[in-house]
Amino acid sequence: MEWFNYLAIFTAAICFTTFLYRLIYLLSLGLPKDLSKETGSVKRGIIYSFTGAMSPMEKESAFLHLPTYAAGMLYHVGIFSSLLFFVWVIVTLFVPITLPSLVSIGLVILLSLSSLAGFSILIKRVISKELRYLSCADDYISNFLTTISQVAAILYILVPGSQVIYFIIMALLFTWMPLGKTRHLLYFFFARIHLGFFYGRRGAWPTVNKS
Amino acid sequence: MKSNQINSKRELALELLKPGDDSKLLTSLNSCVRCGLCADSCMFYKAFKEAKFIPSAKVDLVSSIYRRYYTATGKIAPRLFGAKELDDKMEESMVDLLFGACTMCGRCVKHCSIGVDIPYVVRRGREMLAVMNMVPQSLQSTVDAAINTGNNMAIPEDEFVDTIKWMEEELIDEMGDENARIPLNEFDKEIFYTLNPREPKFFPLSISAIAKVFYAAGESWTLSSKFYDVTNYGFFNGNKVEAAQIAGYLYDEIKHLRGKRLILGECGHGSRAHRWEGPNYLKKTYDFDNITVVELIGEYIRSGRIKLDKSLVKEKHTIHDPCNLVRNGGLMKEIRFVVNSSVSEVIEMSPYGEDNFCCGGGGGALAMSEYNDRRLKIGEIKANQIKATGAKVVITPCHNCVDQLLQINHTYKLGVTIKTIAEVVADSLVISK
Repeated sequence: MEWFNYLAIFTAAICFTTFLYRLIYLLSLGLPKDLSKETGSVKRGIIYSFTGAMSPMEKESAFLHLPTYAAGMLYHVGIFSSLLFFVWVIVTLFVPITLPSLVSIGLVILLSLSSLAGFSILIKRVISKELRYLSCADDYISNFLTTISQVAAILYILVPGSQVIYFIIMALLFTWMPLGKTRHLLYFFFARIHLGFFYGRRGAWPTVNKS
Repeated sequence: MKSNQINSKRELALELLKPGDDSKLLTSLNSCVRCGLCADSCMFYKAFKEAKFIPSAKVDLVSSIYRRYYTATGKIAPRLFGAKELDDKMEESMVDLLFGACTMCGRCVKHCSIGVDIPYVVRRGREMLAVMNMVPQSLQSTVDAAINTGNNMAIPEDEFVDTIKWMEEELIDEMGDENARIPLNEFDKEIFYTLNPREPKFFPLSISAIAKVFYAAGESWTLSSKFYDVTNYGFFNGNKVEAAQIAGYLYDEIKHLRGKRLILGECGHGSRAHRWEGPNYLKKTYDFDNITVVELIGEYIRSGRIKLDKSLVKEKHTIHDPCNLVRNGGLMKEIRFVVNSSVSEVIEMSPYGEDNFCCGGGGGALAMSEYNDRRLKIGEIKANQIKATGAKVVITPCHNCVDQLLQINHTYKLGVTIKTIAEVVADSLVISK
């Protein structure tokens, strides 16, 4: 293994440990203590929070902004795919296996599209007056790093000798992930749980079918 | 000396952002990705089109302070991570946006791409301002009145008793029954009923409407002449001690009168503050039933205790859903059950239910005269919703909403009548003699 392999593995381990620590801490805190009398169901509320409430038809942030929503979804599929790909790459450092060519082609297409989606979101943040108002450096850096890591994964697959760039970019991403807003990777799930708890116990979620 | 006082108040405010053991706070302060997609779900942004009104910007006011004082990255590189000092400028922005530009209706929460509980963060921001004595004076006066007199309009007890006696006489005349009553301070009754002080002050006929419903149901009920106020503006000013004191008034009074069920009158935030927040303010579970009058009337209809003839009410009606009863209270279906049982024609607004827009008077906005212009401007959204229905009557089970809707009605020349649920139920009651 080369120094850049060690660097990426080390930063990935630190990143994973940080998220794991935060996960355990949040889990240890449990759900809020609420003394009011439950009239709905927390369980059903939480399930709905991760299912029906996430439907694009239920959210103005989705159906009023379909291009951005589609770009965001694609971007996130790309992010998770590139993270899984990193795990695969690390495994191949120890076990001599290769990715089937069909999978490689599919991954390149997916990551190309998700990179474009990532850049489009970044460009929107730069040109939109409202988004610039909301943004700090972290917003641009987080978006740029997660997008460029997908481009690096494409390079890794297609361009022999691009390993150094790939591992350095992944190391930068793993360093930034627990520090920047990318940490919503973990907090997102807890936000949904809290919403499900809040609306579920009041019987507001699952929502009533209006039709 | 003054500088020391300011610093010690700020320290108290910052304590409220300490991560501690509050999972929801920790989650809410770390979840927002500032995508800005919540903008179109907020009435203030829709009305003014200014970035500062985007819900995410309001969250960031609070979370940026959290990052500055409680995260290593925010301490080391504040500009990089959008971490900000709690200083004069920040406090000014917090007052303006967290009190003056958010009704805490929660519409943005449902539509947030992540699911950040934005009103929860706004409320924490208000709590910070409260410990720094920065609650808008008009709102604080409303809370002070409730604390000092037992009701937020500081209605003297004898004036209240006179109004109730007057309404009782009206009820006797209308029912043609000398035994028709509006009981005051009676012990061991099934129902301990509560009112929004706007009722005795401005809308006494809504008291006679609910009294008529209780009469028809043959209910055993009472009002208290001292502690009848269902509102709790402590829910809005961010002072939990005061909120608990106000919640305690009703708790102590139902215990004193040995009532069996606390029935929350038609007030959205009051119902929420007593039903869902009250036990947490007082740190105890309630050993009595604690439900809204909408649910009680629903019980009457289902059990046949009251009979309604909806053909008696023929005009076209629409429903305004109070945020704290529907989106944050789960009563959408129940409100429609009662209304559809009472009137011939109901046409829904678009959107409605949990997607409905706030009337603009929530979050304590009605009490904060400093922001009247903003309140009426955002009310245009509701005005347009009402206009589009073509309805002649707007029904809403919330007296705060009634007040805002009356002002919208006047400002935007809607020409509609605003009624509470008790009023439409009373209109369709069939009373067998």
